[in-house]
Amino acid sequence: MSTTDKDIRKMERSVRLMTWMAARSSRNQTFIDRLCRKLVERATVVAPEDDFMRDPLIDNDQGFDPDELDRYQRGEQAIG
Amino acid sequence: MPAAAPFNPEDIVNAKYTERPVKEGITTKNLICASCDIACQVVGEVQKGRVTKVRSSDNPIFRDNICMKGIIAPKGMAHPSRIQHPLKRVGERGSGKWEQVSWEDAMADISTRLKKVIADHGPEAWAVSTSQWNTATDHGLGRRIMNHVGSPNWISGVALCAGNTAAVNRFTYGWFPIGDFNNTKCIVLMGHNPRRHSWTPMYNWIRGAQARGAKLIVMDPRRSSSAERADIWLPLKVGSDVAMMFGWLKVIIDEELYDKEFVKNWTIGFEDLKKRVDEFPMERVAKLTGCDPEMIAKAARMYATEGPSIIPWTPITDMQRNSTSGIRLQGILRSICGYVDVPGGEMLQGFNPDIINETEIEMHEVLPLEQKLKQLGSKDHPAFTYRGQRAFNEPNKRVYGQEYANIATGSYMATPSATFRAMAGEGEYPVKAFFFLGNNPLMSYANMPLIHKAMMNQDLIVAHEQFMTPSAQLADYVLPADSWLERPWLHEMFGWMSTVRFSEKAMDPPGECRSTFEFWKGIVGALDRPELVPWDTLEDFYDYRIARTGMKWEELVKTQVYFKKPAFRQYEKTGFATPSGKVELKSSVLEELGFDPLPYFREDPPQDPDYPLKMFTGVREDGFFQTAQRHIPEMRARHPEPEIFLSEKTAKACGVEEGQWVHVENELGRIKAKLAIKDAMPDDLVRVPHGWWKPEMQQGKGHLSGALDYSDAQLCRDDPDFLDREQGIPHLKGVPCRVMPVMEEAPAPEKADVSRPVTEPAE
Repeated sequence: MSTTDKDIRKMERSVRLMTWMAARSSRNQTFIDRLCRKLVERATVVAPEDDFMRDPLIDNDQGFDPDELDRYQRGEQAIG
Repeated sequence: MPAAAPFNPEDIVNAKYTERPVKEGITTKNLICASCDIACQVVGEVQKGRVTKVRSSDNPIFRDNICMKGIIAPKGMAHPSRIQHPLKRVGERGSGKWEQVSWEDAMADISTRLKKVIADHGPEAWAVSTSQWNTATDHGLGRRIMNHVGSPNWISGVALCAGNTAAVNRFTYGWFPIGDFNNTKCIVLMGHNPRRHSWTPMYNWIRGAQARGAKLIVMDPRRSSSAERADIWLPLKVGSDVAMMFGWLKVIIDEELYDKEFVKNWTIGFEDLKKRVDEFPMERVAKLTGCDPEMIAKAARMYATEGPSIIPWTPITDMQRNSTSGIRLQGILRSICGYVDVPGGEMLQGFNPDIINETEIEMHEVLPLEQKLKQLGSKDHPAFTYRGQRAFNEPNKRVYGQEYANIATGSYMATPSATFRAMAGEGEYPVKAFFFLGNNPLMSYANMPLIHKAMMNQDLIVAHEQFMTPSAQLADYVLPADSWLERPWLHEMFGWMSTVRFSEKAMDPPGECRSTFEFWKGIVGALDRPELVPWDTLEDFYDYRIARTGMKWEELVKTQVYFKKPAFRQYEKTGFATPSGKVELKSSVLEELGFDPLPYFREDPPQDPDYPLKMFTGVREDGFFQTAQRHIPEMRARHPEPEIFLSEKTAKACGVEEGQWVHVENELGRIKAKLAIKDAMPDDLVRVPHGWWKPEMQQGKGHLSGALDYSDAQLCRDDPDFLDREQGIPHLKGVPCRVMPVMEEAPAPEKADVSRPVTEPAE
């Protein structure tokens, strides 16, 4: 394998930092949490032209109307 | 879900990255989707007490992990055919005649009948089949109750999908590793093909890694979409994965590309392994795999030198006659290249110390050894049974702090085929009561004719289900199950990873639908053992499990995720959780069980001229997970009929055309499907779709909503040539078959759509 022991130690520290930031970012309650979320967002954002996760089905989903879902569940209405 | 609107990228540039404003009348809940088994963290928007939209998480670490099955769930779970009240069979088994009863009456009768089965035949006469992460709120309670009652006969689809991989990984280094996609430099996909709408997070991680410059190697007979994006695609013969890995080892060992220090200090059996590998010179590997020797060598060098590399879990090696050797070889490659428990490699995470894990809930220690040794299948195929896993109790306690580790719920299972034989009256003792939860067992294991016979031979069958599946149609009771929108969930990442995630309850379940927690609580109450599930509510149970975090459920659930501090190379302190404390390239446990301690390759039996083709199954279509979601119109619009794939040349040789209805047949059975011709398919190989039935078709015995026409489990053999020796799981990757045009009943073949692209990848 090509990676040196020093590289691995560096990566270990990086993973610990990333995990700490991910935990704070997920909690998103304190000032530090929110700062972490901004940093994580900035670090992970992909330019739209390179964004392999873009998908019209997902991005254009409008969800459902609650009353329609009620009627659908009762068998009174089909939802298109 | 509205139909896909015309897509203008300008409209949504970065829209998903913006914190969403609070909308009037809409509340949001952080949820974990259970539409498949990868558990995406998503957001549910709630209006008037209903989840009306499921969207991607606002949390950037989970961004975009959502697929078509997730966004359609509010409608799928509101389907008018959802079972909302307990149903009791009133006609003959499978007659389709039911009466609505109360939960209390159902539980009282179930417990009376279960007690009688246990009194007449012993506790081992009760078997349970489930996939715990689909039911989600089982949390090991089923195993806990079975262990106290005395039955070892718990089975699951994870016997041939991830759970068995977890159990077999323990033979090499004591735990089931998870690849570090964030830091890896090379990913090897062995037939697995995560896509935008199928195993979405893994697709996201792989694409992200590739965007950062990581290499991708794909082994797949098909030219899949992953193969099209790969740096190296090895189009190997179906079922030859083990031979391919021997070829890689030959290159890596001969060229001394392995981590010599790690091998010297932390492995046993290297010299024996080397001798076994020498049985696979490149010419032999090329012949067995059908791949160019230079490409094989190039891929092996890339894996060994571009690292840290990962070989993520794949279902392909879970489902073949060489499964144990295949899973072991993956572990051996990871180990000798020095990729185990390092960043960018394969992490051995262990338990999260702040959470009471599900293995602890299961209480395997209370099941007497005498009962453990009765576990069906454990005599002939012990690998993932109590007998096969027992040697890891001491090492596991030394390294991970407790004797039992039911990783991915795959350790300590009975063997499915042996269980169904016992249920059918062909086993070493009778099994007469069968429960299944969030599971469609008739179609989810090999040899469906045997499973059908087994179910028809039961005194009591109880299903906990959302819909009237073909299996539920054969039950005595069908009890209505809740869904992931309708209850909280503490997700311990399959007991595989140390991270724990949380899902809020977003709406009330319809009718009388109840969680698996409530199901088991009802069962223990009726069995006069209420002390086995002493918590009043699911939230109380979670409070008990998370007490060491110092938080209550209502606080912790808001944080979405709870990490254990990452640690690497822990083996330097504790050794590996194997009997030797080292990576066992030559397995002492397999040797003790009477098997070859080194990986080996069993070639296919001689070809039967009546069945000149080979089929593989187990593939999920984007709109469906396993046997689910066929009731949702939008998903069926994408996949209206089951389709097999053939190459054009093979289709011609079979005398069949695009769009035509065909039969796929072998010695076990026959299914019907439409033909799609794909240039991405190799010749003589048939892709059979998994899990097909049609909820709109006639229910009951003799019909089973089309399962008898379409279910691939009718083609999946479980005779000795088609079982892995150590585990007893079936070979689904290269089963002999033939394809014939449908001659009778003949729904007029639809005219082939000449505009249909045939150059797309074969998914």
